[in-house]
Amino acid sequence: MQDCISRYGGLVWSIAERHVRDRSSTEDVVQETFTDLWKSANRYNPAIATEVTFIGMLARRRAIDFVRKASRRPQLEPLCPSDTLHHPDSMRSDAVRWEGEAARKALKQLPPDTQELFFLHFDEGMTHPEISEKTGLPLGTVKTRLRRGLIEVRDILRRTGGSQPSIPSLS
Amino acid sequence: MSDPEDIQRRFEELEAGRILGDLDAQERLEWEELAKDPRCRADLSLEFTAAAIETEFLPPRAEPLPATTLEHLRRDMARFVSPPPAGSPAERRFVWPGMFSNPQTAWAVAALFAILFAAKALLQFPANGTVKPAVATLSPEEARDILLRQAGDLVQSDFKGTDAFGQMSGKVIWSDQLQEGYLTLTRLAANTPSVSQYQLWIVDPSRDEEPVDGGVFDIPPDRETTVIRIRNPLAVNDPKAFVITLEQPGGVVVSKQEVVVAIAKTS
Repeated sequence: MQDCISRYGGLVWSIAERHVRDRSSTEDVVQETFTDLWKSANRYNPAIATEVTFIGMLARRRAIDFVRKASRRPQLEPLCPSDTLHHPDSMRSDAVRWEGEAARKALKQLPPDTQELFFLHFDEGMTHPEISEKTGLPLGTVKTRLRRGLIEVRDILRRTGGSQPSIPSLS
Repeated sequence: MSDPEDIQRRFEELEAGRILGDLDAQERLEWEELAKDPRCRADLSLEFTAAAIETEFLPPRAEPLPATTLEHLRRDMARFVSPPPAGSPAERRFVWPGMFSNPQTAWAVAALFAILFAAKALLQFPANGTVKPAVATLSPEEARDILLRQAGDLVQSDFKGTDAFGQMSGKVIWSDQLQEGYLTLTRLAANTPSVSQYQLWIVDPSRDEEPVDGGVFDIPPDRETTVIRIRNPLAVNDPKAFVITLEQPGGVVVSKQEVVVAIAKTS
């Protein structure tokens, strides 16, 4: 666990900081992410995702959930509880192992203008309203293109992931 | 919208929005309704995709985590493990080939690490003085020997006494993973605690330019060799040197290094 903190603490911090943008809250998100990790680590399946992707996913969940709660919207259920990892359907997938390099290659197959939105969001760390302001695109268009782009990247990974290990059920 | 494919398509779009953090309140309600619909299939694929993209784009973070955050994480993790079965092979193995390469074995080992961490935390921060961890009954010599046998990341270095303390010899062992270490000091002059005390300093440039306090200790007059447990209130991640100074009773917050007793360099 100590090794895990040493190896991935920086990653979790960076993700939290990017979304939360406040040092004190970043520390909270980092701690909550590692708490989630200790609870759900036995559900990790290396055939499905790299350690980096798995931990990155937990960090994103916590960070986005934090931002959502802080935005004064109506109180809702947690974004996606860790227990969902235990549900067979939650890990249902095709023969794909999610990892960064393959995702980057898949991104390059998207239309250039959509790639640019992904770059602004994931590389520059811009929020959707900030992207809208910078590009001049309506906010709804930014959201739709990013959503559909994400689905398209997922589908590309599924189509090109045939050589990856098959995904056993976690049930 | 009654076509199952249309429903699934709409659900996936909302699911993508949820993962990207851009659902408005109305969309969120729609997502919640659709998530209950048996025609809508959800898995983690979009979340993994977003995480893979984000981690791929993230620049590596150069600086270590803040010391306060590290301390909180280390204390927190002990709450989530239970002791491994007594006598199990994992209890005797301190290998860490990769956190998740073999989750069951790795986490059994991690559990043992965490127990030792918890014991250390209890020793340093006793709850009303009522909790007495088992390791408290170990002598420093016994605890040192256990660390020597079990730690897989042990750093060892020999002390070299300065001119006035040239007759002394000693060794330091330290484990980053366990945040535990010991000094074995031989022929170091006994001190009078009411006059002066020895103090250990840990030089760890990765966390701070200033040396970290490693605890105040005494050398009794009747023993040639004394084993001292390192008591670091702050986390140490990559010690480059251990320095013993002689200070006023109770030690000091910042040493003027007027009397440097011995130095052990690890690299």
